[in-house]
Amino acid sequence: MRDRLTLSMRASHLLALVFVAAALALAAIGAASGDTFYLRLGTEALIFAGLALSVDLLLGYSGALSLGQALYFGIGAYVSALTLLKVPSFWLAMAAAGGATLVASIFGGLIANRVRGVYFALITFGLAQVVAKVVYNTRELGASDGMIGIPVIDIGFGPVSVSAGNPVGFFLIVLAIIMGLYGLTAYLLDTPFGRVLTALKANEKRVPFLGYSVWRARMFSYVLAGLIAGLSGALYPMLRGFVSPELMFFATSGNAVISVILGGVGTLIGAIYGSVLLVLLKSIIGSWTEHHLIVIGLIFMVCVMFLPKGLVGFIRPRIEERLLTGAKEPAAPSFAPARLEAGSAKP
Amino acid sequence: MNALDYLQFVLAPQVVNGLALGVAVVLVALGLTIIFGMLDVINMSHGEFYAIGAYAALALGAAGINFWFLLVLVPVLMVPLGMAAERLLIRPVFDSRDRHVTTLLVTFGLALVVEDLLKVAFGPNTQRPLTPIPGATELAGIIVPNYRLFLIVVGAAIVSGVAYVVYRTRLGAMVRAAAFDRNMAASLGVPVALVYAGTFAFGVALAGLAGVLLAPIYSVFPTMGRDFILLAFTVVIVGGMGSIWGAVVAGLLLTQVQALASLVISPVWTDPIVFGTMVAFLVFRPQGLFGRLGHA
Repeated sequence: MRDRLTLSMRASHLLALVFVAAALALAAIGAASGDTFYLRLGTEALIFAGLALSVDLLLGYSGALSLGQALYFGIGAYVSALTLLKVPSFWLAMAAAGGATLVASIFGGLIANRVRGVYFALITFGLAQVVAKVVYNTRELGASDGMIGIPVIDIGFGPVSVSAGNPVGFFLIVLAIIMGLYGLTAYLLDTPFGRVLTALKANEKRVPFLGYSVWRARMFSYVLAGLIAGLSGALYPMLRGFVSPELMFFATSGNAVISVILGGVGTLIGAIYGSVLLVLLKSIIGSWTEHHLIVIGLIFMVCVMFLPKGLVGFIRPRIEERLLTGAKEPAAPSFAPARLEAGSAKP
Repeated sequence: MNALDYLQFVLAPQVVNGLALGVAVVLVALGLTIIFGMLDVINMSHGEFYAIGAYAALALGAAGINFWFLLVLVPVLMVPLGMAAERLLIRPVFDSRDRHVTTLLVTFGLALVVEDLLKVAFGPNTQRPLTPIPGATELAGIIVPNYRLFLIVVGAAIVSGVAYVVYRTRLGAMVRAAAFDRNMAASLGVPVALVYAGTFAFGVALAGLAGVLLAPIYSVFPTMGRDFILLAFTVVIVGGMGSIWGAVVAGLLLTQVQALASLVISPVWTDPIVFGTMVAFLVFRPQGLFGRLGHA
């Protein structure tokens, strides 16, 4: 049985394939021309796409706006950096970052999930600010300067190993990890448990009547989102060789929210497209003025007001129609379960 | 140092300075809490309106306009700005399914734009207008700058004035009625759309006034709003979103906590204490100290 959600997820997967194809083309062009700048920029966009993905999981599915998702991104980055300074092992760094963000997000989730709506937004904002200030003032973590001199590591896959300093190789690894996280999230949302998450956004009051725990579902999505943000953050020091408290600041969380809105709330792949779009916009506008925030802010406001489903939300229905007419079944179910709309979360 | 000296030379100045900061925070938080209480809108760009007020005072002051006149002129100039923001940004999304998140996002976008516009117009550097009231007064052995005393008095007057208008006048009753039940208020003849726009503009004007008053103490720079808004949000949450008295009590309380804590621990650690208080309040008493405006 195909319902609306499966259909729209399939459309998202198609867009994901297009994205991967485009990314592989970029990697091939980059490898052929010996370019490093655009590949590095692309890698950074992908890393921040992971953060945006985690924001979309919260906002687009369970309907909770997190204004402090950079907290987990930053924890992942710092733990990864600290691990790499001691032991230059990719897998150990990822495991340590994952473990630390898991613990941190369980802790944060216990606090943040006591409230909802606007209060949830403000509490996540507050949590991230507290931790960012603490990091900013802790000399052991490099205080306001952050930590530099993180070694360039070799990432081993059994017999083969790729250096993180190799632009093409590292780009492909990051692409694989981020698309893997996308695939994992999409898969989880397609399970019965994922439908409970979607139900939370549609009507939270009815979920307990159907026998599901609201708290457990919210908690699970929060921890999963924290983990995704943390694993993406863990890749950052491998790319740049440093970490700084800015990674936890509101600007980072805000950028992730902007990416999700630009790309399309509740589409998952939209977060990834949005993040790339934001990096593109920044570098294009940044080439003729340093005040790119004016333009980005205006585009963002227009998007929130007039295009609440974002770029992918605009394109995807057209793909869905194609998928429907291409299907052998005569008609799709005529009912339309709660469509995923931007900003339809209950306060 | 004996206990009495400690009280006079360490504790008391800290309390007075904390009080001046407290009044400043209350002034900024007041507009924020009114906008939330009446319109149910989280105004993320409130800090930027505060910055606009400060820059307007700076620019008009440089053009030779008297500080005392600016105290009236700048808030008046902020009113059409607030009206326009409400009309163009808040009104179109006011009836969307999730007003909280949508209006928060729109005003967040506005904050980005305004902050960068201020950078374009006035440059990224910190500027500081001259203190309009120089000198200091000795009060019971404590030396307090005159301007801070003035700020405390004016702040108290503004808060009392606002509370009087909201709770004791016919206009205030109309505003509270519109916040409580907009359809019922409309059927009783309250011009609800105008009241909403006016309330938003009033909150914005208060932010602008705070900007004029605080510019001589905290200096003026494009991101000044961002730094202050955190504390203001904390105050609004702890005091109870939408409560005027809550904002006053929480503002004074939190700044005293900050001022006194900095005697014992390094000042850089007081921010986590203040934000920790906010988080604790959100967890254990999300409605804050006092209930919400217009909601009994």
